[in-house]
Amino acid sequence: MKYKIFILPIFLFTLFLVSCTKPSAVPQQFTEVKEDAVIYPDYRDVTIPPNIAPLNFMVTDDAADAFVTQVGDLVCGAGKDGKFDLDTLAWRQMLSATKGGDLSVSVFAHRESGWVKHPDFTLHVAEEEIDPFLSYRLIEPGYELYRQLGLYQRNLTNFTEHVIYENNRAFSDEDNHCVNCHNYQAYDTDRMLFHVRGQHGGTIIVQGGEAHKIAIKHDSILSAGVYPSWHPTLPLVAFSTNKTGQVFHLQHPEKIEVLDEASDLLLYDAEKNTVQNVLRSKEYMETFPCWAPDGRRLYYCCAKVPESLMADYTAFQVALKYDSLFYDIYSMPFDPDTRSFGEPRLEVNASADRHSISVPRVSPDGRFLLFTKGDYGQFHIWHQSADLWVKTLTSADGLPSLTGEGSGERLYPLSAANSPEAESYHSWSSNGRWIAFVSRREDQNFSRVFITYFDREGQARRAFLLPQQDPEHNTLLLKSYNVPELSKRAVQVSFETLKHVVYHTEAETATFKE
Amino acid sequence: MKNARFLSLLPSAAFLLLTWFWAAWWMGDIGLMAYENSFVTADSTLMHWLWQQPFGVLWIVGRVLLLTYHWPWVGGLLVAVLLTAGSWLVGYCLRMPQRWRFLQYLPAGVWMTWVAWLGLNVFYQHEPGRPLGVLFLVVLVCAIDAFIIWTFKSRRKSVVTADVKSKKPAVPHYSFYLLHLLVFLLCLSVPMALTHARYPYARPVTRMQVQMQQQDWNGMAETARANAHLSYRPLAAYYAVALVHNGRLADDLFDIRLDYDTLYLKDRAGKGDVGSNYYTIDCNFHAGLVRPATHRAMELLTMEGPSLFSLKMLTRCALLDHHWQLARKYLHIIGKAPFEGAFVEKYSAMIEHPELIDADPEFNVVQRTMPIEDSFESMYQEPIFLGYAVDLMQGRSKEALIQSLMANLYSKRMPAFLMRCEPLVGTTPPLSIGQGLVTQARKFPDVLKAFPSLDMEMRRFVSFLQVVQPYMQDRPRGGIELFDQYHGYYPYYYFFGNLKATRKTNTQDSSSAAGVN
Repeated sequence: MKYKIFILPIFLFTLFLVSCTKPSAVPQQFTEVKEDAVIYPDYRDVTIPPNIAPLNFMVTDDAADAFVTQVGDLVCGAGKDGKFDLDTLAWRQMLSATKGGDLSVSVFAHRESGWVKHPDFTLHVAEEEIDPFLSYRLIEPGYELYRQLGLYQRNLTNFTEHVIYENNRAFSDEDNHCVNCHNYQAYDTDRMLFHVRGQHGGTIIVQGGEAHKIAIKHDSILSAGVYPSWHPTLPLVAFSTNKTGQVFHLQHPEKIEVLDEASDLLLYDAEKNTVQNVLRSKEYMETFPCWAPDGRRLYYCCAKVPESLMADYTAFQVALKYDSLFYDIYSMPFDPDTRSFGEPRLEVNASADRHSISVPRVSPDGRFLLFTKGDYGQFHIWHQSADLWVKTLTSADGLPSLTGEGSGERLYPLSAANSPEAESYHSWSSNGRWIAFVSRREDQNFSRVFITYFDREGQARRAFLLPQQDPEHNTLLLKSYNVPELSKRAVQVSFETLKHVVYHTEAETATFKE
Repeated sequence: MKNARFLSLLPSAAFLLLTWFWAAWWMGDIGLMAYENSFVTADSTLMHWLWQQPFGVLWIVGRVLLLTYHWPWVGGLLVAVLLTAGSWLVGYCLRMPQRWRFLQYLPAGVWMTWVAWLGLNVFYQHEPGRPLGVLFLVVLVCAIDAFIIWTFKSRRKSVVTADVKSKKPAVPHYSFYLLHLLVFLLCLSVPMALTHARYPYARPVTRMQVQMQQQDWNGMAETARANAHLSYRPLAAYYAVALVHNGRLADDLFDIRLDYDTLYLKDRAGKGDVGSNYYTIDCNFHAGLVRPATHRAMELLTMEGPSLFSLKMLTRCALLDHHWQLARKYLHIIGKAPFEGAFVEKYSAMIEHPELIDADPEFNVVQRTMPIEDSFESMYQEPIFLGYAVDLMQGRSKEALIQSLMANLYSKRMPAFLMRCEPLVGTTPPLSIGQGLVTQARKFPDVLKAFPSLDMEMRRFVSFLQVVQPYMQDRPRGGIELFDQYHGYYPYYYFFGNLKATRKTNTQDSSSAAGVN
């Protein structure tokens, strides 16, 4: 009983401490300073979707012990760590009310001399929403080895991260396996796939809520299916099949070269479990297939094997010629009825000016072809020269263009979204207004997801880093984000189901069709 | 009565002191290296890797306790306290009569023996928090058990109080102390003998690693020479690192035995391991191969999760690569761990003032041997710090040339060695290089014309050949018997040293190599 007299003072003292460490109101008296606040992530003047999670950020100022930010009419305080955790509900309401408008952000810092106010900056809120789910793989940029990795799906409207699939957490020779290349059909998750490499290997195909494991093998196929692209409507997947290796520079601005010694294209029928070669030759390497949104054309990257290599065609020789491999973009018409392809057509001739292209992705409205352009090779995520570029696929009057001069085609970089570091592995949102991509711009090593707005005129805006509840998260995470894929719905199959299929079912070998 | 109680506590006090001696002096460097190969912080993002492991929480507790090994005498004291308290609790829980209390120390002895049995696997490719985590768990279980017993006992207390109070503690018989002493000796001698017999390299190697952290290159070399009869790859590797830094590589490399006995190490799958991953990262770095060091350190981080060792190595590599943002990231993470302020402060300054990199004596040596031309790691034999030096055609400095010459001498690749000696023609070559040259003088008489200063060395070589002639038929025996007489003399190494060197070992960790990312 006698202790009760302490409860109120303790409560009040605690309240006092809390109120001291995190201010909760905009300071009434302050001095304006000219220097910009040092904020991370740098969200200055970015365009954001109206359904994005709060853009929590942190301020670094050694001279300050408390901070306040005002985003629109939302006020948030932070202690010495400078981390703002914006109220999700208020943020959501504010963004809904500001669609198509701007939000002004003020940052105040409490220094010994009193409060100071840094120059304001603006967040532009777009009209169009982004697909609410983003899938990616998290893995250390550990070059050759892997240990704990997984496929995850982030709800972009909040901070929830859901495990799609994780490999074994503890090292085990019997269970060690890698997962990669997750892919969805037409921004939905009803049909999806990913590969399992190592133990329990195969390709996991999910259709209508059921998962099963298949294996793509045949004497005429270089390896298993690698880079996939679901046909937008049919149960078909275009795969590349690649003989891939990697080499490590000793003294070069780039650290790694990932090279194909050979690559071809396959077509897999997920209903019949059959596979056939689409393009197969020694002289050309075809990779990164991508369907047009109407499913009547297949885009892909293709490099001609240099003449000098043809005589002495070994993996080592290919590695030595790593900067002489230039990929262009081609496309082939596809007849869904007969399931046959027409003659290839050159879409982007990058090799002509000794550049190289990878990962073609056609916008959902079919008007733009997005790709990565770099100095050479196809694994651009390790190339500082890699930038996002766009080719217009329709001319100004809206008709499909022909290749060649006078068609009104344009080819240009998305300069506002690009950085001096590598950008690659991009995906469109289903409305074509947002692009998610990974970039190594943060530290040259760990790739992070950035999102950029893509307007109707085909121009990108300044990209913003995927927001996290703890803004420090991206600086602490020792894994890279791979292959961000936007989707309208969450993955329908549980981790447990996928785990059962991976661990306890045998891969059914696809029947080869001549 | 007080005297009797004091005397009955004497064995526990003695055990505490003895185990402190074992855990701090005998195992101190191993504990410190376990600490370096561990990482613990309050941040959930950084602990996620370990948290997800089976028994992850226990390993985290073990790592927290391991933090005390930042100062090995403090860490040792903690271990001693846990062992002593655990022993007392075992005796209490098993309700051992006073005369059998010497047995309560045996579980502690078992734990110590287990730790000794692990050798460098206390941390190498195994969870460094495991030994202390297990010890903590055992003590915790005993403490809970003891608490339950105590609670139960206290309820009966009122019934037996009068009886208990009437009992006075007796002064222990001398046999009581004798038996304790025997058990203590057993508990201490078994693990120490095990370490000494099975892993004689473990303490010198970890000592050298500690000295390397302190940049005490001469100390490292002395440690190696004090254990010159031991013949283990990690010892030789760290010895070479020391010589690179104190500039004695071309004089002293062959001072220690280089024949390489089994390390009895286990890889993370529990299979036998040759141990090359133990020292490859350090050797790559100190041989100027910053990128391969980065590569291996990143793989270590991938396979074992973040550790101070991998993060510090990645930081230093990023600084030498001028990747400032990356270095800042690693330093930020290291700063989340306790007791690492000095490291963070030292290397953070280099980000703001890159000229400090050139001024740093360690970095300065590393920079002088960095490659001047690009090539790929896969072009060279593993381990790359040796393979690269062996094939080096164009170096940045005289140090790079010396490393290349010594790598060829070590590998006994004499034509390549001779070819690379060309820049030294007309000079008096360093000791081992001169000795290497005379081994080839009979086959290539021009060598003596090019290096006239080697006349004396040639005579010594001729006399050496006469002395060792009887051993030529049984070189392994000759290697051992002639070592004391000829260690440090290259012709001895050429004929009797490193006889297994021709056996190629793949040091690549391929157990889970696959995709690219």
